[in-house]
Amino acid sequence: MANNVAIVGIGQTKHNTQREDLSMPGLVREAAKRALEDAQMTWADIDAIVIGKAPDTFEGLMMPELFLADALGAPGKPILRVHTAGSVGGSTAIVAANLVKAGVHERVLTVAFEKQSESNAMWALAMKIPFAPPLVAGAGGYFAPYVRAYIERHHVPGDIGIRVAVKDTNNGLLNPYAHKQMKVTYEDVRDSMMLWDPIRFLESCPSSDGACAMVLTSESHAESGQARPAWIHGMSWRSEPTMLARQDKVNPVAGQECAKDVYAQAGITDPRKEIDCAEVYVPFSWFEPKWLENLFFAPEGEGWKLTEEGATALDGDIPWNMSGGVICTNPIGASGMLRFAEAAMQVRGQAGEHQVDGASTALGHAYGGGSQFFAMWVVRDSKP
Amino acid sequence: MTEHSFTAPHVIAYDYTRSLGPVLSHFVTGLRDGKVKGMRTSTGKVFVPPTEFDPDTYEDLGPDSLVDVADSGVVTSWAWVSDPRPYHPFDRPFAWALVRLDGADTPLVHAVDAGSAEAISTGMRVRARWASERSGSILDIECFEPEGAQ
Repeated sequence: MANNVAIVGIGQTKHNTQREDLSMPGLVREAAKRALEDAQMTWADIDAIVIGKAPDTFEGLMMPELFLADALGAPGKPILRVHTAGSVGGSTAIVAANLVKAGVHERVLTVAFEKQSESNAMWALAMKIPFAPPLVAGAGGYFAPYVRAYIERHHVPGDIGIRVAVKDTNNGLLNPYAHKQMKVTYEDVRDSMMLWDPIRFLESCPSSDGACAMVLTSESHAESGQARPAWIHGMSWRSEPTMLARQDKVNPVAGQECAKDVYAQAGITDPRKEIDCAEVYVPFSWFEPKWLENLFFAPEGEGWKLTEEGATALDGDIPWNMSGGVICTNPIGASGMLRFAEAAMQVRGQAGEHQVDGASTALGHAYGGGSQFFAMWVVRDSKP
Repeated sequence: MTEHSFTAPHVIAYDYTRSLGPVLSHFVTGLRDGKVKGMRTSTGKVFVPPTEFDPDTYEDLGPDSLVDVADSGVVTSWAWVSDPRPYHPFDRPFAWALVRLDGADTPLVHAVDAGSAEAISTGMRVRARWASERSGSILDIECFEPEGAQ
């Protein structure tokens, strides 16, 4: 029988455009030390380390698991690297959780990071492949046509992306770790530069340096942390092809199947009612309405209505991206883990100014590649 | 019908930077000033180049634990390069060597301008030949040379 898995320690860096005060080892250690402190553990208490980051072209750091093993206290212990593009932070947490669930290890430290200031992530995603059309200028260029397709398929009002951006950006002001710290109005977002029509500058994520870490344990160490543990009630991942023409990038099947699997494990039949808050990977604001449908919070074609009526605001009935989300903070490799961590912080009552009162069930979500990789977990404040 | 298999060049190049953090920044500014700095760890051992965190306890190590070491020391191992290539530091035969500086417990890899394979041996003493213009880089030490050489 599988073991229950608890999240007992969570740490993150202060995220910024450039953490030039820290080396790469220093960056991952800032998050890892905070997670250990939150778990009231030391490096010696950890049995294994699972590390994740996005493509190696981002920093030109080949084999981060090799370079960072000693910075993360791995000598004499197993260390494993995970990579699934932008969803990697979520997938990394799931690999770590599975090591505990399977009874292989008792206390696992999982870390994800990106130090994007050490190169240019946009162009690192835009390599021109021989015999293929050079269509991609960063993730925004890739996703813009699918945002347009979503708007046209469901006759969505053109300002939903603006509303999401206003909500998420202002939520970031409540999160001291968030990169973007700016108050924005509807007009600020509307009048910001159109980068990849229909995606505007303030509807887009920044490029950040940052890291996130968590300590996951079996039941016997679940009370170690400073706060009550968060318990994993469901976790799942799915993938699908990136370039195959028949893929529906507006409402990807892999995302739907991942959600169905997680909800089935957690016994959830009506996510909007049964989940108290969700931290979902929304790097461009238009992905909130798209994912509201993909994750079954709204019927297909109606996700935007939740945004419009304020349901996803911090004081709405189903808050999404309380921390400010990816719109405020995007160290790509860490972004998925930050979503998973925020969900856990919410049910542990650790989210400070962006805490949802009484949150006991929360969803963490990540996606990556060309809407190709999906990872999700549902956590609760009670044991499964 | 003729069958073709096409190939095309695929060159990927990006510019990268590295932030050194508080410890290694002191190391390279030390080199610029003509000094070699090592890190004293919890066991009392001195690591050159310095480590940012303790290799045994994994606790942070800060600039306060940096110590100066000598710019001369002992060869602990070496490989002779009899036929230097364009990117090598010399156009004449030289050695790559591990050099343990006096005051350090770990060896540093660098070039030794020994002249001939007969002139280098494990245990021999060498000292740094500093570059006349220094910028904060391991290449601020041009190479090591046998102690006593001119």
